[in-house]
Amino acid sequence: MKTPSDENHDLIRWLDGEMTADERRAFEATLQNDPELAAEAESMRQLSESLKTHLPAEMPVPHADFFNSQIQVRIAQMELDDAREREKAAESTAGWLSWLRMPWLVGAAAAAFAIAGLVWTQNSSSGTSTIASTYTPNPSVHAQVFHSADAQATVLMLDGLEPVPAEKKIVGFRVHRAESDAEVATTTLFDENGSVLAVVALNAKGQPQVLK
Amino acid sequence: MSAAAPAATDPVEPLDVDLVKRSQAGDTRAFDLLVTRYRSRIYAMTYHLIQNETEAWDLAQEAFIKAWRALPNFKLDAAFYTWLYRIAHNVTYDWLRKKKIQGDGEFDDERTEHRAMPGSRTAPQGFDAPDRAMKRQELGSRIHEAIARLTPDHRQAIVLREIEGLSYEEIAEMMKCSLGTVMSRLFYARKKLQEMLKDTYENPV
Amino acid sequence: MTKEIPNQKSEWRGRVKPLRHSCFVILSSFVLLNSSFCPAQQPAPVPAKKPATDGKVWGALVYATTDAAKLTGSTEKAPENQKDLSGRLGKVFTPYTHFEIIGQHFQDVFREYESWVVPSRDLFLKIDSKGPAAGGGMNLHLQVWREQQVLVKTDAVLHPGSPLFIGGPKWRDGQLLFVLDLQRK
Repeated sequence: MKTPSDENHDLIRWLDGEMTADERRAFEATLQNDPELAAEAESMRQLSESLKTHLPAEMPVPHADFFNSQIQVRIAQMELDDAREREKAAESTAGWLSWLRMPWLVGAAAAAFAIAGLVWTQNSSSGTSTIASTYTPNPSVHAQVFHSADAQATVLMLDGLEPVPAEKKIVGFRVHRAESDAEVATTTLFDENGSVLAVVALNAKGQPQVLK
Repeated sequence: MSAAAPAATDPVEPLDVDLVKRSQAGDTRAFDLLVTRYRSRIYAMTYHLIQNETEAWDLAQEAFIKAWRALPNFKLDAAFYTWLYRIAHNVTYDWLRKKKIQGDGEFDDERTEHRAMPGSRTAPQGFDAPDRAMKRQELGSRIHEAIARLTPDHRQAIVLREIEGLSYEEIAEMMKCSLGTVMSRLFYARKKLQEMLKDTYENPV
Repeated sequence: MTKEIPNQKSEWRGRVKPLRHSCFVILSSFVLLNSSFCPAQQPAPVPAKKPATDGKVWGALVYATTDAAKLTGSTEKAPENQKDLSGRLGKVFTPYTHFEIIGQHFQDVFREYESWVVPSRDLFLKIDSKGPAAGGGMNLHLQVWREQQVLVKTDAVLHPGSPLFIGGPKWRDGQLLFVLDLQRK
């Protein structure tokens, strides 16, 4: 005797075309004699059609160019890291030459350039910080990246930002440590004495709010 | 599962296998073409599985990055898309597991089984929040809402079957479960969807 | 899919870490009507063990000006390992001659979660670790925020002792700058 579970499975297999021809004939004979089951089968068939209609197998990726370019940037970064690993022991000049011999990587870097605005990479076996890509959501803001040997620093200049109003008081913190709570998406900032300075919480849009 | 996007069969377009070989040789431009060719399908899959645009976007991207890393091991013994799809599914599945997003109990497999015994076949319990606003919504958005309320396991089974058209065996392999479990998940997922969409079918928009 | 406004492009990058707004978005989409999942309704969590970190950074917000009289009077001092910070900033950010630390923040960079570096409540940084880089460095995705607006997103590799100087918005007669430096382990 068939269990309810078997009956359910038969219905599903019939619906999904997973039955053999014999099984199918037998099940359809059952349907003829069981109006309740037949109604259920028809209802499930309609649902299945609705799902196929309304759940597209393809959906346009939002900001598709950015999607691709970010992949290229990350691949270029991974290749860079791999190359560094491989050539850790080599002289930095040799490293550069080997880089230039990797045409696909140059292509990847070019793609990164095209999308991310100014992209600056440097062979930094000496431990110099680098910026591989920048993206400024506001089109009137431009990012420039360069290395200052004098300052021994990597510089990211943001031009075109709205000035902060002069009357606004910029409130500085001296944060000694922070604790994050992944469950509620907050970060609590503590001073040296363990007192709470502020809490960073994300709103529904993912924007941070610094609560005092 | 269909092996390739329509573009791949266009004589002008390079074949997947050629793009894969070039990618394996380190040609990121070839890989970029593969990304362009399959991003809409991979994104649709991640979106349907987690029902969140931003996260789906990130996970689709992560899938392509992982695929790039794994390309040297791809033996070309399967269709590229099938292989890519598995990676994307695993990335999404891991994410879901990591987030420990479960149904809240009402929709877990066990309880649903109790509620959806055969006796309720033609009398499913009504979805108890069919307010007027919902009635005005398009069937499509109702379906999306209903899908979002399934447990991740039920949602995956439905997406793999109804959208990707995978066989039960393929679903079982992908979800690392038995054929019986696949059938149960498909059955109860559909029962749940029927319940939630009951109002829609009785009062078509 | 209607997110076609260019400025919203900013919302589509670098969110693969668990600690984010997505917590809320997912909550709302998955369990809209079944709020027992909502963490707010759960008992207070037992303090978790210390999360894994990939390193530690020092971040500071600096006010640059040409006029000493315009300084805000902040008493913050650069840590000892930031040798001649004012002099180095002066080599990049001309014509400013005075550099005052308004706020500073030592922050562990979490491996699994995003890390916020908040030297001020108005301008701050978000870091997503992408794992260690060769030579003791760290791959990261960095965002500069001004209140609820993201100004720039970058993929960067930081190395200890090689700070990042970020030229931010103008303020009063000067400019606000960030310094971000990976600390040696």
